[in-house]
Amino acid sequence: MTATVAEAPVTTTDAVSVESISRWYGNVVAVNEISFALGPGITGLLGPNGAGKSTLLHMLAGLLRPSAGRATILGESTWANPKIYKHIGFVPERETVYPFLTGLDFVKLSARMHNLPDVDAAALRAIERVEMTDAMGRATGGYSKGMKQRVKIAAAIVHEPSILLLDEPFNGADPRQRLRMMDMLREMAANGATIVFSSHILEEVERLAENVLVIVSGRLAASGDFHAIRRLMTDRPHSIMLRSSDDRRFASALIGQPAVFGVEIVDGHVVLHTSDLEAFALVAPRIAKEQSVTIYEMAPTDESLESVFSYLVRR
Amino acid sequence: MIGFLLSLTVRQQVLRKSTLLLIGLGLLVVLVAFVYRISDSSMEPDEWTTKVLYGGLVVTAMLPLTALMFGTSVLGDELEDGTAVYLLTKPLPRWQILLPKIVAPWLLTSALVGGAALISGFIAIQDGDTGVVIGAVVGLVAGALAYIALFVLLSLLTNHALIVGLLYVFIWEGALAGVFEGIRYISIRHYTLGLSDAIAGNIPDTFNAYMSGSTALILIAIVTATCVLWANQRLQLIEVRERP
Repeated sequence: MTATVAEAPVTTTDAVSVESISRWYGNVVAVNEISFALGPGITGLLGPNGAGKSTLLHMLAGLLRPSAGRATILGESTWANPKIYKHIGFVPERETVYPFLTGLDFVKLSARMHNLPDVDAAALRAIERVEMTDAMGRATGGYSKGMKQRVKIAAAIVHEPSILLLDEPFNGADPRQRLRMMDMLREMAANGATIVFSSHILEEVERLAENVLVIVSGRLAASGDFHAIRRLMTDRPHSIMLRSSDDRRFASALIGQPAVFGVEIVDGHVVLHTSDLEAFALVAPRIAKEQSVTIYEMAPTDESLESVFSYLVRR
Repeated sequence: MIGFLLSLTVRQQVLRKSTLLLIGLGLLVVLVAFVYRISDSSMEPDEWTTKVLYGGLVVTAMLPLTALMFGTSVLGDELEDGTAVYLLTKPLPRWQILLPKIVAPWLLTSALVGGAALISGFIAIQDGDTGVVIGAVVGLVAGALAYIALFVLLSLLTNHALIVGLLYVFIWEGALAGVFEGIRYISIRHYTLGLSDAIAGNIPDTFNAYMSGSTALILIAIVTATCVLWANQRLQLIEVRERP
C-alpha cells in the first residue's frame, strides 16, 4: 500500500489533486490557496473544528465551487461535472438520511442511481461490508448515529469507487464500530482505492492515515508522513505551569537545566518553557528532591489541538 | 430511475406534516360547498360555484398555497437538511433528478386541488352545468404545473422561496393584478381562469377570465418551460455545504 502527498507539481494522473484552491464566503476565507496531489492510500485531513476541512472536502467532491483554483479527480475538474461520481463515493458529516427508507432501500437507491446492473446484489454486498445486515430491514429513522454513519458509507461504496471522500466518518461510532470501519477502509486502500477523510481527532488520524494534511485556519499547515508531523508536534516547545511549596527556588534550580530554556510569571504562577518534555519529566522530580521542594502541581498550558496546530502554522 | 425517484419524492412529500394541513384545506373547501348546498343562498349554483367556490377559493387560495408548499419543499428541504447530497453525488444528468422533483409535487397538487374541486363542485352545482366543474379541474391541473415549476425554481434561487412565493401569490397576483390589468398576463392564476373558462364551454365568461383559452395554454407552456429550463441550469451549479 503506497500513498503520496505532494505539494507540487500536480499532474493529470493523480487520483485527487487541488491546485491553489481557495474558497471564501463574503469576507471570510474558509480555504486559502491549498495545493496537493494524492495517490492511492489513506490520507487524513486533520485540523480543529472550523479549519476548512469540510469546505475542502466539498470542493473535492464537486459540491462547492472553488472561489479560485481547482480540484480534479483523475484529471477531471470536479465542479459541475456529474460524470466524475462514477469514480467517487462521498460520505457527508450530517447524519440526515431518508428516515422512511430501510437501510437496504437507502443503499439500493444509491445503487440504482449509479445504474448498476445488479442493484440487489451490490446493495447487499455493501451492507455486509459495513456489518449492517441485521438492521438492513429497519427504517433508518430509528437508527443510532453510528448505524446511520455505516449505512451512509455502504451507500457511498455500493459502486466500488476508486476514490472515497469521508467527512468526519467516525462521529457517533462506538469504539468497536470505529475499528471495523477502519479495517474496511484499510482493505479498500490495500486494493488500490484513494481514501481521504477528515477528522479533528489526532488519534483517529494516527491510527488510520499513512499521510496527513494538517489544515489550520483554511491553510495547509503541514503535509506528508504522519509520523514526521507527529514528531514535530511532540518536539515543539511546551509550557508548564508549576505549583510547589517554593516556586521561586524550584524555578531557579530548573532554569539551569539544559531542557529548560525560559521561565516567566503568568497570573501569579510560574510557567516554565521546555523544548524536551521527556528530559524535563525526568529532571524535575530530581531537582525538587535536591531543593527539598514539594511539587503540588505541574500542568501543561498549551496542549489543546488548536495550540499544536498554531505551532505548526507558525513554523 | 426517474420512476424510482418519483416514488421516493411522493413518499417524502406525503409524509410531511404540512401535507395534513393541505388535506384539511381540501376538506374545508368540500365543507364550504356542502354548507352552500344546505343553505338558502340567493345565488344560483352555477354562479356560486364559478365565482365563489372556484374563482374566490380554489383558484385564488387553495391552488397556489398547495403548489407553494409542495413546490418549495420538494428540493428546498433536501438542500436544507443535506439529503440532496445523496442525489447530487451521482453520475446522472441533472434533468433526471429535476424531472421527478417537478412531476411528484404536480401530481400531488393536482390530486389534492383537483379532487377538492371535483367533489365540492359536484356538491354545489346541483342541476347546473357540470362542464363548469370539468373546466375548472382541467384548468387547475394545468395551472398547477406552471405554479410548481415556478416554485421549484424559486427554491433553487433563494433560501426564502416560501416568502417570495407568498408575495407573488398575494401581492402580485392578488393585489397588483387586480389594479393593473396588464399584470394578468404574468399571472398563473389568470392563465388557470382563462383555460378553465374555455373548457367550461357553453357558458361564456364563466370565470371572469381575462384571456382566451389558447392564450392561457400557450402562456402556461411558456412559463413552465422557462422555469424548468432555468431550474435545470440552476441545479447544475447548485452548491451544497455543511451546515455553517
